[in-house]
Amino acid sequence: MILEAQDLRQRYGAYVALDGISLTIRENEFVSIIGPNGAGKSTLINVLTGALPPTEGRVRFKGRDIGGIGPVALTRLGMARSFQLVQIFPDLTVLETLEAAVVSRLGRGLRLFASLRGDRAMRAEALEVAELFGLATRAHVPARVLPQGDKKLLDVASAFTLRPEIILLDEPTSGVSTADKHAVMEILVAAARRIGLRSIIQVEHDMDIVFGYSDRIIALHQGRVLADATPDAIRADARVVDTVIGRGAR
Amino acid sequence: MTANLVNVIMGGVFHAAILFLVAAGLQLVFGVQKIFNLACGSFYALGAYSGISAVSYFTGHGGSPALFIVPLALGGLAVGLVGLAVERGLLRFVYDRDETFQLLLTFALVLMLEDVIRLTWGTAPASTGGLYLAYGQARILGSTVPVYNLIVIAASVAIALGMSYLLGRTAFGRIIRAAADNREMAEALGVDMRSVYARVFTLGTMLGTLGGALVIPATAAMSEMGVELIVEAFAVVVIGGLGSMRGAFVGALVVGVLRSIAISVYPELEMLLIYLIVIAVLLWRPRGLFGAAAA
Amino acid sequence: MNSPVKPALILAAVGAAVILVPLAAPPYYVTLMLPFMAYGVVLLGFNLLFGYTGLVSFGHALFIGIGAYTGAVLTTRFGIRHMEVILLAAAVAAAVAAAPVGALCVRYVKIYFGMLTLAFGMVFYTFLLKFYRLTGGDEGMRMLRPYLLGSEWAGFNKTAYLVGPYYYFSLAVLVVATLLMWRIVSSPFGLCLRTIRDNPLKAESLGIGVSRYRWHAFMISAVYAAVGGALLAPPIGNVDPTLVYWTHSGNVVFMVLLGGFASFFGPLLGAFVFIFLQDTVMSVFPYWRLVFGAVLAFLVICAPGGLMGLFARRPVPLEPERG
Repeated sequence: MILEAQDLRQRYGAYVALDGISLTIRENEFVSIIGPNGAGKSTLINVLTGALPPTEGRVRFKGRDIGGIGPVALTRLGMARSFQLVQIFPDLTVLETLEAAVVSRLGRGLRLFASLRGDRAMRAEALEVAELFGLATRAHVPARVLPQGDKKLLDVASAFTLRPEIILLDEPTSGVSTADKHAVMEILVAAARRIGLRSIIQVEHDMDIVFGYSDRIIALHQGRVLADATPDAIRADARVVDTVIGRGAR
Repeated sequence: MTANLVNVIMGGVFHAAILFLVAAGLQLVFGVQKIFNLACGSFYALGAYSGISAVSYFTGHGGSPALFIVPLALGGLAVGLVGLAVERGLLRFVYDRDETFQLLLTFALVLMLEDVIRLTWGTAPASTGGLYLAYGQARILGSTVPVYNLIVIAASVAIALGMSYLLGRTAFGRIIRAAADNREMAEALGVDMRSVYARVFTLGTMLGTLGGALVIPATAAMSEMGVELIVEAFAVVVIGGLGSMRGAFVGALVVGVLRSIAISVYPELEMLLIYLIVIAVLLWRPRGLFGAAAA
Repeated sequence: MNSPVKPALILAAVGAAVILVPLAAPPYYVTLMLPFMAYGVVLLGFNLLFGYTGLVSFGHALFIGIGAYTGAVLTTRFGIRHMEVILLAAAVAAAVAAAPVGALCVRYVKIYFGMLTLAFGMVFYTFLLKFYRLTGGDEGMRMLRPYLLGSEWAGFNKTAYLVGPYYYFSLAVLVVATLLMWRIVSSPFGLCLRTIRDNPLKAESLGIGVSRYRWHAFMISAVYAAVGGALLAPPIGNVDPTLVYWTHSGNVVFMVLLGGFASFFGPLLGAFVFIFLQDTVMSVFPYWRLVFGAVLAFLVICAPGGLMGLFARRPVPLEPERG
C-alpha cells in the first residue's frame, strides 16, 4: 500500500510548477509536505490525487498508475482528500453529508427507490463518524450555518467516512485558531486510528503541527524536493530552515 | 446560376448585417455583465415597430420617402433608450444572483415586451410598404440587389468598425474591456460599475433596436419576430464565442449566409442546419471561434 | 420542527378537495384541473433536475412534445388507443431521446447547459414544423380520445369524459408520479443529487460521479415530462409544434419558480397557480404575458424561493457568518 511519485513534472505553458519530484509514502506513515507559497504544493496535491495528469512522470497508488484518473476513480481505489478552501454541501445537514459519503462508499448511489431514512446501519455509521469528530450535537444542522472550524472538520470527516487507506489533507488546520489547532489534530489522529486509516499526508504551514505529528517531512521549493527526512533531520537542515521554516523556529 | 448564387449570398449577407447588430448588443452585455439577454430579440422587435411608426409619422407629415431611412434608424435608436430604464429598474437587482435567475429575469422581459408591443401596435403585421425599393436596385455580378440592402450592409460594417474603435481606442472602451475581464479589479481601480453597466446595457439595447428597425423594409414586423430572433442570435454568439465582438461579426456572417444557402437548397433545412451547428460547436469547442475559455 | 401531523392534514384536505372537484365544481374549472395535473407531472420531474440537481433546462418542452406527439401518432397513425400503452410509449420514447441528449448536455453547467437544451428543443421544433408530411407541420396532429382502463367511455360526450373518467385517470397518474418521485428524492440517489447540486467538486471527491448522476436525473425528468405531455393532449384533441417552442420551456421554469423549487410540493403549487392565474388573467385582460412577466420579475428579484419559500423559515446561523 504505497503512494509513489516518479519524477513528476508539471508545466503550464512556460511556467514550470513541478520540476522533477519523486517521493514515496509508505504504510502507517504521517507525512507532512511543507514549502513556501509557489513551491508547487497545490499542483503536487492535484497530481497525487489524480485530479491533474502530470506533464511528465508517474504517480502510482498500490502499484496502479493514477495519473489524471479523477477523484471518483481515486476514491474507489482507496484514497481520499480534504480541501484547503473548505468544501461542504451548504444545504445538507452534517448527518446527510456523512450519509452521502457512506452511500458512495457502499455503492448505493443509484438506488432510486430505497429509503434513506429507513437504513439504520448507514445512519448509525454516519452518527459514529460525527461523534468521532465532535459534530454529533450538530447532526441535523445545515452545513452552511456551522462555524468555520466545524465546516473544516466536516470536510475532513466526510473524506474519512469513505474509509480510505490513505488520505491527503490540504491544510487541515488553516482557518482554525491557534488554540484549537492541536485539538483538531488530536481529533484527526484519533479518528484515523478508529477508522483504520493507514497513512496520512498533510500539507501544512504551521510548523508546530508539522513537527508535532509527522513521521517524515518533505520540503518543497520551486517545484523540487528540497529535503525528505525525519523531523529531527529537517530541523538540522540549514537549507530547509532558511527557505521554508524561517529562522527562529524551535 | 451565378446570378442566383449571388442573390442568395447577398441576401445572406444582408441578414448577417442585421444579425450582427443584435449579436453585438448581446455580446457587449454578456461580456461585461455576464448576462445572456434573452430579451435581445424582444428589443429587436421593439425597434422594428418603432421604426415603422417613425417612418409613418415622417412620411405622414410630408417627409420625403427618399429619406425614410433616417427616421427609421433614428426611431430604432431612440427606442433603445428604454434599455436604460430596464437596467436601472430591473436588471441591477440581480447582478449578484445566480446566472439562472438573471436569465429568468430576461425571460420575464421577453414576456412583458411581447405584450407591450401587442398593446401598442396590435397583432397585425406592419411594414413600410414599398419604401424598400425607394433606393432602387443595383446590378451585382449579374443579379439585382436592392440598394437598401447595400446601405444596411455598409452601415453595419461601419458600426462594426465603430465598435472596434470604441473598444480598442477609447477610454470608455478600455473600461469596458477591463470590466469584462475582471470586475472586482476594475472596481478597485475606481471604475463606477453602476454607470458602466447602465451605459453598456443601453448601448447593447440600442444596437438591437437599430437592427430591428433596419430589417423592416425587407420584411414585415410581426409579433413573433422577437422570440424567433433570439434563437438565431443565440446561434451567432455560440458560433462566434460568447462575449466576443469579432465572434459576433464572424458568427453573424456564418449564420446569415448558411441560412440563406440552406433555404435556397432545401427549405425544410433552414434553421435545423444552424441548430445542429450550434450543438456541434457547444460540444466540440464550447467557447466558439473567438470566445474566452469556457466555464 | 413542526409536528408531522399538520402537513399530513393539509395534504389530506387537499387530496379530498381534488377528489371532490368534479362533483362540486362547474365543468369549466374541472377541465382546468386537467392541464394542472399534466403539468404537475412534468414539473415534478423538472424539479428533480432543477431543485434537487441544480440544472436548469431551457428545452424541457422537447420531452413534453415527445409525450404529446406519441399520443397523437399512436392514436391516429397506429390505431392504438389505450392510454396506458400511450403513457408507456411516451416514457420509452422520452428515455430513448433523453439518453443521448442528456449524455451530451450534462457535461456542461449553468448557462451552457441551458443553451444546449434550448438548442435541442428548437431542433425538435424545427423538425416538427418543417417535416409536415410526417408531423402535420404547424397545424399539428389530432389526438383521438384514448381508452381508459380499456374502455372508450362511448356513452360519455366530450365534456363528461373529461370531467369524469379522464379526470380521475389523470389524478391517479399524478398521485403515482408523486409517490414515485417522493421515493426517489428520499433515496440515496436523491441525496447524491443534492450533493451534486450543492458542491460538485466535493461530491466528486466523495466518489459521486457528477455527470453520471446528472444523466440519470435528466432521464427521469424527461420521462416525467413526456408522461405529462401525453396527458396534456387529449383534452385539447390536437398537438402542434408550439408545445415545443422555447418559450414553452421558459414557462415550465417559471412555474417551478412560482411554486418554489426548494420544496417537494412547490412545483405542484406552481403548476396550479400558473394555470388558474393564467385563466383568470386571460378572461379579464388579454395581455396576460405582461402580467406574468411582471410576476416572474417580482419573483426573481424579491421572492426567488417562490410561494413555498414565503412559508418556510430560514434556520438561524449558530455564529454570525463572516462575509
